[in-house]
Amino acid sequence: MSNSMDDVAKEAKCFLIIGSNTTEQHPVFGTMLRRAVRFRGAKLVVADPRKIDITEFATLHIRQRPGTDIPLINGLMYIILEKGWEDKAFVAERTENFDEFKATVMNYPPDKVAEITGIPVEKLYEAAEIIAMNSPMAVIWAMGITQHIVGVRNVMSLANLQMLLGNMGKPGSGVNPLRGQNNVQGACDMGGLPNVYPAYQPVTSDEAREKFAKAWGLDSGPMTVDGGTVRGLSSTVGLTVTEMMPGILEGKIKSLYVLGEDPVMSDPDTKHIRHALETLDFLVLQEIFPSETSVYADVLLPGVSFAEKTGTFTNTERRVQMVNKAIKPLGDARPDWWITAEIAKRTLFLLSSFDKDDKEEERRKINMDALWAKWDYRDTSEIMSEINALTPSYGGITHARLLKGERLQWPCPTTEHPGTPILHTKQFTRGKGKFMAIDHVPPAELPDDDYPMVMSTGRVLYHWHGGQMTRRAKGLMQVYGEALVELNPMDAERLGVNGKKLLRITSRRGSIVAEAWITDRVPPGMVYANFHFPAASANELTQAALDPVAKIPEYKVTAVKVELVKE
Amino acid sequence: MVNITIDGQCIETEAGKTILQVAKENGIQIPTLCYHKDLSPTGNCRMCVVEVKGGRFLQAACVTQVWEGMEISTVSERVMKDRKLTLEFMLANHPLDCLTCDVGGECELQDLAYDYRVEVPSWGAKGTRYPVDSDPNPFVRVDFNKCILCRRCVQACAEIQVRDVWGVAKRGFEEQIVAGAGTTMLEARCESCGQCVAYCPTGALSNKMNYGTARAHQVKKVTTTCSYCGVGCQFDLLVKNDKVIGVSSNPDAPVNGMALCVKGRYGYDYIHHHDRLLKPRVRRYLLEGVKKERTGSPWDWVETEWDTALDIVAKKFKETRDATGADTLGFLTSAKCLNEENYLMNKLARQVIGTNNIDHCARL
Amino acid sequence: MTNKTQIYKPISPEIEELAREHHQDREAALELLKDIQTRHAGLSSAAITDAARALRLPPHQLYGMATFYSMLSLEERRKVLRVCDGPVCWLKRASKPRRRAKGTATSAVSSDQLIGEWTEAMPEYTVERTSCLGLCDRAPAILVEDEQAGPVFAKDAEKVCEGWRGVPTDYSKERKGELRVMTALIGKIDPDSLAEALEHGVYDGLKKALQTQPGAVLDLVESSGLQGRGGAGFPVGRKWKFVANEKRTPRYIVCNADESEPLIFKDRVLIDTNPHQLLEGLLIAGFACGASEAWIYIRGEYEYQAQRLENAIRQAESQNLLGENILGSGFSFKIHIHRGAGAYICGEETALIESLEGKRGEPRLRPPFPPTYGFRGQPTAVNNVESFCAVPHIVRNGADWWRNLTKAAAPGTKVYMVLGHVKNPGLFEAPFGLTLRQIIDDFGGGMLPGSQFNFALCGGAAGTIVNESLLDTPIDFASAQKGISLGAGSFLVCDQNVSPVAFLRELLHFFAAESCGKCTPCRVGTWRALEILNRMAEGKGMKDDTEELATLADLLHDSSFCGLGQAVPIPMRSALAHFGAEFVKAEVS
Repeated sequence: MSNSMDDVAKEAKCFLIIGSNTTEQHPVFGTMLRRAVRFRGAKLVVADPRKIDITEFATLHIRQRPGTDIPLINGLMYIILEKGWEDKAFVAERTENFDEFKATVMNYPPDKVAEITGIPVEKLYEAAEIIAMNSPMAVIWAMGITQHIVGVRNVMSLANLQMLLGNMGKPGSGVNPLRGQNNVQGACDMGGLPNVYPAYQPVTSDEAREKFAKAWGLDSGPMTVDGGTVRGLSSTVGLTVTEMMPGILEGKIKSLYVLGEDPVMSDPDTKHIRHALETLDFLVLQEIFPSETSVYADVLLPGVSFAEKTGTFTNTERRVQMVNKAIKPLGDARPDWWITAEIAKRTLFLLSSFDKDDKEEERRKINMDALWAKWDYRDTSEIMSEINALTPSYGGITHARLLKGERLQWPCPTTEHPGTPILHTKQFTRGKGKFMAIDHVPPAELPDDDYPMVMSTGRVLYHWHGGQMTRRAKGLMQVYGEALVELNPMDAERLGVNGKKLLRITSRRGSIVAEAWITDRVPPGMVYANFHFPAASANELTQAALDPVAKIPEYKVTAVKVELVKE
Repeated sequence: MVNITIDGQCIETEAGKTILQVAKENGIQIPTLCYHKDLSPTGNCRMCVVEVKGGRFLQAACVTQVWEGMEISTVSERVMKDRKLTLEFMLANHPLDCLTCDVGGECELQDLAYDYRVEVPSWGAKGTRYPVDSDPNPFVRVDFNKCILCRRCVQACAEIQVRDVWGVAKRGFEEQIVAGAGTTMLEARCESCGQCVAYCPTGALSNKMNYGTARAHQVKKVTTTCSYCGVGCQFDLLVKNDKVIGVSSNPDAPVNGMALCVKGRYGYDYIHHHDRLLKPRVRRYLLEGVKKERTGSPWDWVETEWDTALDIVAKKFKETRDATGADTLGFLTSAKCLNEENYLMNKLARQVIGTNNIDHCARL
Repeated sequence: MTNKTQIYKPISPEIEELAREHHQDREAALELLKDIQTRHAGLSSAAITDAARALRLPPHQLYGMATFYSMLSLEERRKVLRVCDGPVCWLKRASKPRRRAKGTATSAVSSDQLIGEWTEAMPEYTVERTSCLGLCDRAPAILVEDEQAGPVFAKDAEKVCEGWRGVPTDYSKERKGELRVMTALIGKIDPDSLAEALEHGVYDGLKKALQTQPGAVLDLVESSGLQGRGGAGFPVGRKWKFVANEKRTPRYIVCNADESEPLIFKDRVLIDTNPHQLLEGLLIAGFACGASEAWIYIRGEYEYQAQRLENAIRQAESQNLLGENILGSGFSFKIHIHRGAGAYICGEETALIESLEGKRGEPRLRPPFPPTYGFRGQPTAVNNVESFCAVPHIVRNGADWWRNLTKAAAPGTKVYMVLGHVKNPGLFEAPFGLTLRQIIDDFGGGMLPGSQFNFALCGGAAGTIVNESLLDTPIDFASAQKGISLGAGSFLVCDQNVSPVAFLRELLHFFAAESCGKCTPCRVGTWRALEILNRMAEGKGMKDDTEELATLADLLHDSSFCGLGQAVPIPMRSALAHFGAEFVKAEVS
């Protein structure tokens, strides 16, 4: 998020929520937005195919067809330009490439956009007027924007919109993606990505590589093989999770170490994932529960829940907060940092010892005297010290400060720095903001005669992701104890669904049986399914069609057929 | 600025503030029940009445603004008498089960009864008017016998959660709190956030999941950050005998204040679920040094000590690396784990193994 | 929210349609509920939920209303017969004298008895008790569906079924000593004829006002010294100036016709005899305050009067006395009728505004007061029917004329009501400053044969109970200090057979039934006081009951949220002061 949640909720005159079911997926932020609408009179435009809960509070709800976000945003920008509502000063001073961008937008007149998106022309005008005339306006999105083959282009389109309206770098404005998992921001910040070290320092950058090589006791320069010894850090960008899975079948990946994830539930095309995991030579899974994925694991290591360890999470607004140990680890379980460090130490020992049988060289040359080479952490605050030293944006974020009650959002480079609630106030990271010319690309799989309906997937209020935690929470299960597929009453009538009936949903990749929840939340022709329950997980049906840049799967559009299961 | 006196103490303060605010800023205690700083003041309960010189009536401190020359007594005989009687009114119609009540020890009504030495009067309904635990939802235990009609639940639902489940029905002595059009909470579209419980000053709304598990003083509170979504709410874990028995709002939470969602507040019991992995497990084939088979006895789980399991992992990593290279190892780190843990996964892949094949579920 | 209890069900088309008729207006919530009730005899939880959905309001809000207003019901009812159990009807109905001796029947019992009697007599009706119907001059009164009836007893049931509604009181004949201003046209005009009203000079005040400036009207009303006739006596001109001086628009005029206090029925008579006089007053108020809309909040039990006003509004509109550019003056004004649904508290001006906005009629925090923050949060002048009715005369005849009508401190005339054990009960108009003795003897025709003055309840239910020591004290807005209140101008005179204890019980019965429940002292205090008085009146009083009543009165007065709770102690304290011995005697069973 470019702005913080509090800032958006308190300062924005208008919100555009597109592709975020805020009140169910980020419920507490959702209530902050509801408060803004009810008590502060903030305007709210919701663009979502589904009549999600927050539409009750919307000044205007527009229902674009799934996978038509780019024409919608371009269409809104067309109207904004046509009416002269753009922030001309901002465009002139802070941005570039406007002309090329404008030329593309001019290809999206309202009548054409109405045809593609299914939103009437007058509603497009209404929406454009609300978002343009109420400044500052904050755009809020989540996976509804990104889980498409055009995920990156969708995001760029929204950035275009905000630059056009001058809604950047000031309170109550900005581009505000809501991160899904509690610490997805932190996992990215900490280098849990194939192309970057912590703080997004690229693995392809000599400078960055040298910095980490020095710190971790490795030779600088590109990775070299010297006899049997591997020196330095790899400069090759690694594989994403959505590439690793097919990579297994291609023989590219032999061993996998999975920390607290459940790919069988959360990755697209479950059948394919199961097949891949079966093909692995070795899978070590570190988990708190036996999961759908643990069936394929060779070693299962008991980690602990958040209640049993101390450290930090970073939330969607870059706020770093303490997690404090409340109870001792259960049984023989160990904090995950301890387990990883033990594996590292033992692997390092094997790699650096001289093997008397075949090889004469140590396999990995590491100078253990280097400042941050060692693995003998006594607690997570020592790990944080290492992060402080190597991660500029986290330079001043120490456990000690957090425990004192300081409220820190990165970038926070030094221990004196107060943190940064709003990004891009003076200029963008790259200097001027660059408008991108973005054209519509239809979804990878559209409905046809065989699979006439569109399925979108997501989560529900009462469950979390693959459901390993929430399916073991008694109360949550009492309220929402099985997979429900949302089906429009008109489709229900057509299918002869009457009261409690089971549906079979089939895609080109698989089939699930789940109970229908008849509701006008979904428009006719669309179903909505979740992936919380192994017995009927939507990911049996989804496809691994990926965004070419972000490698994110297109979860939000799958062609399916829906049938009534005869009981 | 205005000059006022409270209990003889001269105070200079800003106009527009309430008597309650000014008193609090100056260390003067005025009892409240319906008032909560997060909610708009209503002046319903009349516990905070004070005497303003020259006034015909007592004034509710929570809603009365100060004016120049105001002379306030927070402890006059008239004030104390009225507060006692108001408390007596509440207690007269409240059950006398403090001994076994779940919120005993953290009940605001109980505290005030103690402070004002109010005995339960001989008359009244004594909490026999409504069925106990009257709502079938799994989270909120409803016992309107304990309700003092302060309406904080109604306000919390309307002003914090903006969901409007709770309302006020009937009138006069029959007045009661009601969900929706006299329905169950879930039928009234309750989102089970538990804000109403967090703001309830008595045991009228309490948590069903940990009902009867602990007294307030037996519980250790540990402030931490929620492990579900990316909003980053903070709350207190309630711990008794090294067991997490509940979650309670922490008013100082930076992002969320008192607010939480159903998962954050009520989705904690997985922590002690009997499915928890308590010991490392390896497939039997790894211990017996036989060929990997995904069926039968070689594929059975065997619980081991940590050393055994960790050594197997290290050995396998080394073997893969030796046989097919560092880039044939993959690491999926976790968006559910700590920053420190993610950092270590990054360091393990890059420093120890020498691959950039590391990712997590950000895309999923 | 994905939760299986949320079964998809479109709003019932019927309710959707009814909501459309009210333009899905959230302020029309009460009307919508009444419409649904009319069709379905009761309000089911499902119907309330659908109505809430149609208006996009929380279901609890409509359920809260459905259970708040006494004329709404969750249970299905047949035709409804409402039997008044207000103190005047209670007095009238008594078959045996309410002696000071123990064993006197209490009204709680008599409420049930009443319902029983009437149910037996009219089995096709659902019979309910109701607080005072505002038909005290026709006591004992009932409401047959919407129709006012009285005096009727259960023995008259057969006639009632045939359509007989008792005998309305005739006020066309002036009593000796009366000075009629607002009641001057009673019997002289057909109230449903605008032409006759115009002939008699109604709307002349408006015409005169329209030729001056709003500021001049404000000054005139202020200098006349007109005080609000609802009971508090706040200067009308000053209130209007507050509203006119607020910069924010729109500003609103609200007429309080929620006449629900036992003993009071003057507004009903004023509307019934000359509805255009009220409209004219509202028009002048609107002109003076710079408002363009007014609402008359009339109690739901006055359906007949509401229709009469609606008819008058239509007539006035047809003659351009209401509507756009009135009489070419450039001034435009609309008047709406809003019916209540049974709640005394809605006579409190902020509760009235809440109710007008489509909510439970609960009082608001004050300040801010309605002139700054009223209907829809806008500047609003709320005045009583009688206050508005006085205005046209002041505009027509001048402030000095108004002041010179009386030598008393309070200028102008007042509509009085005298009830109870007098020979000639009813309504009359006279200047301020009358004594209770004058009211009884000169206007009420003296005590009934065999009756001796015992005590009187002065002002209204929230007035003072006085004994003979105050018979000669001149009464005006200030006389409450001396122990006798003017209130809304009603005086219920009771003879030696009425026990002050039983009588006070009747008043608490009313207050407990009508307390809104918002604040603790009033919610529990009225209930507790009634509990004590119940047993005292039954001759089962307990030690220290009197003392506890005094303590309760102190708490109610000091700590209640609004005027209702604060006023309950007035009759309590005065009764205890004058008849303390009777109460103490009732302690011992």
